[in-house]
Amino acid sequence: MKNKIIIAMNILLFCMFTFVNPCYAEEINPQKLLEQVDENLWANTKFITGRLIIDNGRKVRTLTQDSWMQGVERSYSRYKSPAREKGTKMLKIAGKLWMYTPRTDRKILIAGHLLRQSMMGSDLSYEDMMEDHKLSHSYSATLEGFDELAGTRCAILHLVARDKKTTYQTRKVWITPEDRIVLKEERFAKSGKLLKTILFKDYEKIETRLFPRTMVFRDMLKENTQTTYKFDVIKFDVDIPAKYFSQSILKR
Amino acid sequence: MNWGIAAKNFYRQGLRAFLNVLVAALSIIALIFMLSLLNGFQAQATRNLVSTDVGGGHYRAPGFDILTPTEWEDFTISVPEVLSDLPAKDKSEVLIQQGQIYPNRRLYPVQLRGIEMDQSLLRLPLAGLESFENELGENIPAVVGVKMARKAHLKKGDTVVLKWRDKGGAVDARDVLIVDVGDIVNPRIDDGVVWLRLDHLQAMTDRKGEVSWVAVRKYLGSVEGFEFHGIELLMADLLALLRQDRINSKILWGILMVLVCTSVFNTQILNIFKRQKEIGTLMALGMEPQQVVKIFTLEGVLAALWALFFAVVLGVPFFIWFQGVGFDVSHLSEASFPIRETIYPDYHPREILVSVLIVLTLIIASAWLPVKKITRLDPTLALRGRAIT
Repeated sequence: MKNKIIIAMNILLFCMFTFVNPCYAEEINPQKLLEQVDENLWANTKFITGRLIIDNGRKVRTLTQDSWMQGVERSYSRYKSPAREKGTKMLKIAGKLWMYTPRTDRKILIAGHLLRQSMMGSDLSYEDMMEDHKLSHSYSATLEGFDELAGTRCAILHLVARDKKTTYQTRKVWITPEDRIVLKEERFAKSGKLLKTILFKDYEKIETRLFPRTMVFRDMLKENTQTTYKFDVIKFDVDIPAKYFSQSILKR
Repeated sequence: MNWGIAAKNFYRQGLRAFLNVLVAALSIIALIFMLSLLNGFQAQATRNLVSTDVGGGHYRAPGFDILTPTEWEDFTISVPEVLSDLPAKDKSEVLIQQGQIYPNRRLYPVQLRGIEMDQSLLRLPLAGLESFENELGENIPAVVGVKMARKAHLKKGDTVVLKWRDKGGAVDARDVLIVDVGDIVNPRIDDGVVWLRLDHLQAMTDRKGEVSWVAVRKYLGSVEGFEFHGIELLMADLLALLRQDRINSKILWGILMVLVCTSVFNTQILNIFKRQKEIGTLMALGMEPQQVVKIFTLEGVLAALWALFFAVVLGVPFFIWFQGVGFDVSHLSEASFPIRETIYPDYHPREILVSVLIVLTLIIASAWLPVKKITRLDPTLALRGRAIT
């Protein structure tokens, strides 16, 4: 009798962990979870109106911009304010980024090592800003454990770059298995030193996706600095005029 | 005879003659001082650059430009045997990369300069790095210069985060231990430079055996895959600056000479005007006008010789004293001149001789030019003091 009770309890526990709690079902395949995250965020084309709030510890600057993105290769941004940055345009095509500033009335190619410089004094480099690749393609994921973040249970995935040329060789992401959304990301140096953290906040259902309205970037090597990217308008799968991804757009 | 009259006339001028002599003597001293100080500056700047950075020239990775930091990572090259087999006293392998340190958690872009530890071609205060293992440890040992330490608020024993990229472009960061703050006489390799062991920097950036350049004691002929940059090319900016300085010093020298010549010229004009009756008497007694001109010119020669004498009497003790104290140019290091210590004049006898001869010639010419008109004087008018009005 006693043995039967023990067997029944074991079966019950097995069923609870296997079928009732979906996060345990997901932990079996972290790579798949990462793919689901990508699927949620990924769209062929996107339009975003947003604010980039740059806090360098002494002064806070807010830049507003409109951005159009197509796949991983192309994006175009136009800065609307402040007056100093108004009219600045950035065009990314493949690995190259052109920047146009109305004050100089010139376009500058930001390529190679220049992409690693801080973008307009923010905690993001041009490279970070341009980054729009699928994590599941660039990284192999393993489950590191579970953690509670802002009252939500998250799976922590440890991501290791598949390619030696990937900027951040390791990352750690906090993903809610139920919604398949990222709440936090940490980016590490090769040595394992923490370089950047990104908090994804204010998720909202936009069309069929859950998308964060706010992203907070922090360069962990600097003190008291953070850059907040707020998305005021987000549209997926929009038609983008072809001229937006042509260098001819980089003029007054 | 002429010498006697000339000497008597010259000494009779008294204070006027003495002031002329003094001005000329001081000008000679100033001229020698200016030239020698410039020589000293050039010699010391060249010595500092050669002993700390340039050596006898660089075999560089083709395309490498120290003034384009964003491309340093693109121009590294493996060292061929012809260079790697050179003795440690004849070559120094150097790898240059970009990096960023975060003193007090503030970003500070730096040049990472890895250098061989067994080299003795360049004199650098990097002894603090020698005791560390070839393999990277917990902290990366580094040395910074005094200027860099002051600007970045670093001191010996501090630990600071260093961020860099490896060959593939992956970002890496580790703690760097400042094992020493070295006194580097060349601010160009002090300001904004973090010195590391070459093997460490190569390991950090996945560039085993690669360098940006190899400094050598002397040119070894062309080496395949490298381009040679000689001393003149590597010091081109400094040499151009010194050339400009020499032009500027010549302008100053010209102004000094104009002053000296004007002073002598003016004195001679006044002499002729005041000594018309004397000139008339000499001519009336049968002296040829050419002889009178000679007497007056000899007075100028006397002034020049006395100027030379006073230049020696006043100048030699001054130069001996100055050679002891030197000229403090510590302020120049802020302007990235490759010189930081006190500079001392470098006297070139040939240059001094030529300069003195030029000065003496100009003084004598200035003395002769105004007295030429004596040849045209009417002795009767001169006797009455009406030949020159």
